[in-house]
Amino acid sequence: MRRRVVITGMGVITPLGHSPAELFASVVAGRSAVGPIVHFDARTFPTTFASQVSDFDLAKYLPDAAKFRNCGVNTKYALAAGKQALADAGLLEIKGDRSRMGVYLGSGEGQENFEVLTSSTAKATAAGERTANLREAAGWLFKRLNGPQEAEAEMYAPSGYLADTFALDGPFASCQTACAASSQALGEAGEMIRTGEADVMLAGGSHSMITPTGISGFNRLTALSQRNDSPKTASRPFDLTRDGFVIGEGAGLMVLEELEHAKARGANIIAELSGYGSTADAYRMTDPHPQGKGAIRCMADALTDAKLNPTDIGYINAHGTSTQANDAAETAAIKSVFCDHAYKLPVSSSKSMLGHLIAAAGVAELVISVMVIQKGVIPPTINLETPDPACDLDYVPHHAREARARHVLSNSFGFGGQNIALVVSAFRG
Amino acid sequence: MVSTPRRTVLTGLGVLSPIGSTTDAFWDALVASVCGVRTVSLFDAYELPCRIAGEVPGFSAKGMIDKSYRRSLNAMARTVELGVIGSQLAMQNAGIAKGTVPPARIGIEFASLMGATDLNDMAAASKLSSPDDETVSHALWGSIGLPEITPLWMLKYLPNMPACHTTILYDIQGPSNTQIPGDTSGLVALFEAARILRRGTTDVMVVGGSEARINPITLSRHNLFVELSKRNDDPAHAVRPFDAARDGTVLGEGSAVFALEELEHARGRNATILGELVGWSAGVDRGKKGPGLARVIRNALASANIQPSDVDHVNAHGTGTTAGDAFEARGIAEVFGRDVPVFAPLSRFGNLGAASGLMELAGSVLALKHGLLPGTLNHEKLAADCPISVHTGAPRPVTKPYAVKVTYTDLGQCAAAVVKRWSDA
Repeated sequence: MRRRVVITGMGVITPLGHSPAELFASVVAGRSAVGPIVHFDARTFPTTFASQVSDFDLAKYLPDAAKFRNCGVNTKYALAAGKQALADAGLLEIKGDRSRMGVYLGSGEGQENFEVLTSSTAKATAAGERTANLREAAGWLFKRLNGPQEAEAEMYAPSGYLADTFALDGPFASCQTACAASSQALGEAGEMIRTGEADVMLAGGSHSMITPTGISGFNRLTALSQRNDSPKTASRPFDLTRDGFVIGEGAGLMVLEELEHAKARGANIIAELSGYGSTADAYRMTDPHPQGKGAIRCMADALTDAKLNPTDIGYINAHGTSTQANDAAETAAIKSVFCDHAYKLPVSSSKSMLGHLIAAAGVAELVISVMVIQKGVIPPTINLETPDPACDLDYVPHHAREARARHVLSNSFGFGGQNIALVVSAFRG
Repeated sequence: MVSTPRRTVLTGLGVLSPIGSTTDAFWDALVASVCGVRTVSLFDAYELPCRIAGEVPGFSAKGMIDKSYRRSLNAMARTVELGVIGSQLAMQNAGIAKGTVPPARIGIEFASLMGATDLNDMAAASKLSSPDDETVSHALWGSIGLPEITPLWMLKYLPNMPACHTTILYDIQGPSNTQIPGDTSGLVALFEAARILRRGTTDVMVVGGSEARINPITLSRHNLFVELSKRNDDPAHAVRPFDAARDGTVLGEGSAVFALEELEHARGRNATILGELVGWSAGVDRGKKGPGLARVIRNALASANIQPSDVDHVNAHGTGTTAGDAFEARGIAEVFGRDVPVFAPLSRFGNLGAASGLMELAGSVLALKHGLLPGTLNHEKLAADCPISVHTGAPRPVTKPYAVKVTYTDLGQCAAAVVKRWSDA
């Protein structure tokens, strides 16, 4: 029989709370964390707002926080969320052999030093020119960049520091598949437990792109909402007037554990990670397939993997980005997989409140999905005011709803066509 | 496991490297001990302390990309171009044309890091936003700088783009993932691909790594925090794995892509089999002490169900850095002592970062296939802190069926793969 994977710990750093309980209370209350960008001066950017983590201090989590002063927030958020998850699972204390405990982090690019990149390039570019003198530019970059900070910007750092700090000596991986990354990390980490390569995996994601480069990149692609006069209503998944996603940041980590291992040590089993599907669209770089071809197959694969029928699913936590293309394609895909049941099935988008945590989005939303099973309450899709004929499902508009769900499906679809669906189930021995 | 796992074989290889851009040219250069480390030519690196590197000579994506896809080159940085062309070469080498494998039965696992932006993509915007050339005004950037930036700017550099373009180019609709844990990314991608094949999700996986590192940003950054060789005047002898006179590594660029395939599927289409991936392990050696790396190597051997004495050679990362080589040698020595020779191909082409693991592995896959192990270039006098036996000098015959590939990151993340010479027995 296949080894079963259960969730025994969870931790988050998000714009709506620094613990799973706070996060869930916020989304059930329909709160939005979206506001003006404070991380840098974005007042002249096409988009001036975001969903940001506030009051974060790594020293609250780690006594040696100063050691990480040169690290970017991808590392810092991951450490804080990881500590919560391991403490929740009762695995924080480092004793004995830890070589069957690993890390799988969906994470982002290391944060570049925008100020030095632009000023050095400017200095190496003659007035009126469109090309830089690269010899000079390299010289200025070498003089101006901060070596220790650059070292910490290497992409292995966030996953490496999780392993190093919490003595997770077993298998590791770290992926960057845009908005699908942390869901993919959870799914593949579960597979590493199923194959027997590990008994415990700390898995999830950590990401911030609320930087001048990140906002510039998404703004040039016209992917972000530009509703600057009303940031809190800007993320409006499935609404006819949606105009792009609202960028967020944060981290989430879960302790995934092989069932017998969890039982043997008397762990508190929160839920079971029962299904995983992963597909590629092979369609376009920025747009999902309009009928959701890849999304359909990944949801169907996740159900098959969980040995469930579509009617077993009691709630879908949608990818629901608030872009025109995603929300219509995702709705079409859900209808294709769930047929008549699609119309009886509550579907909501946490991004309406939380914004889009990019590489950390999937795990934050899976934490919410797990708590829906635990608490019997489904968080709403806020800002859904004008119905879109292409989006005609029950999106739980405005207000949370009490409902029992034994099995929940959560979607994450990434830029570049990576599609992930995960199924979590109430644990039954 | 109760059932026999599905077997995973290597059936295609594409390389774009500083010592050759076909599989044959790469192998010939390995045997002839050609060194691809030279003075940087892609830009004038005179201002940097280390200005030697391994570049892919004459690489032109325009001349190589599938005609149907040429239009998309404007959305690809050099890292992405290397990855996509490398994938094309691997698929051609494997004899897999688009559509010949059902789209859902083929997936991709890539190793690629954030590409450095081409400074000329941001030169005009930077000039407008930094009137004093010392500081940048976010307000100017947001208002008059940003419109100067190409709309596809971000897409040119995202790590998952080599995989993304390849899925579109070959209609790959199975899982697509991109690994980013530094120099271990390629092997971590290979392990996940094998897991996906074993569990029956797909029959073929494209497994590649690519990175373009010879540009003002990447080279100046690494000059700040990596021990790079000072032998600017003697690039061919700069990287000296496990050598008493080693003084650092150099960066390189390139792309190495394999087709990894389930054995019966490969047999069914009469594919040429280059070798078999029979085992692997990943794990962390906190503080890079050595015993953790040894544990990972032992776990990899155990997963392949073999003993150290079955191994023909260990293929090391062998970066030529003081601390790195000493750490790696300690780990290897704990498992193999001086009994199994170590081969380190990196001195020929530099540290290819995300492409390093699979490019280095390609050296051993080809060595097993040809029955000949090339020597480690620039290893002349074994360092006292490296208690291993390094194979150097002329190529020697391969005597045993297995090779073990080892690599690591600076935070002690270690990976080891076991490959076996293919025989139909």
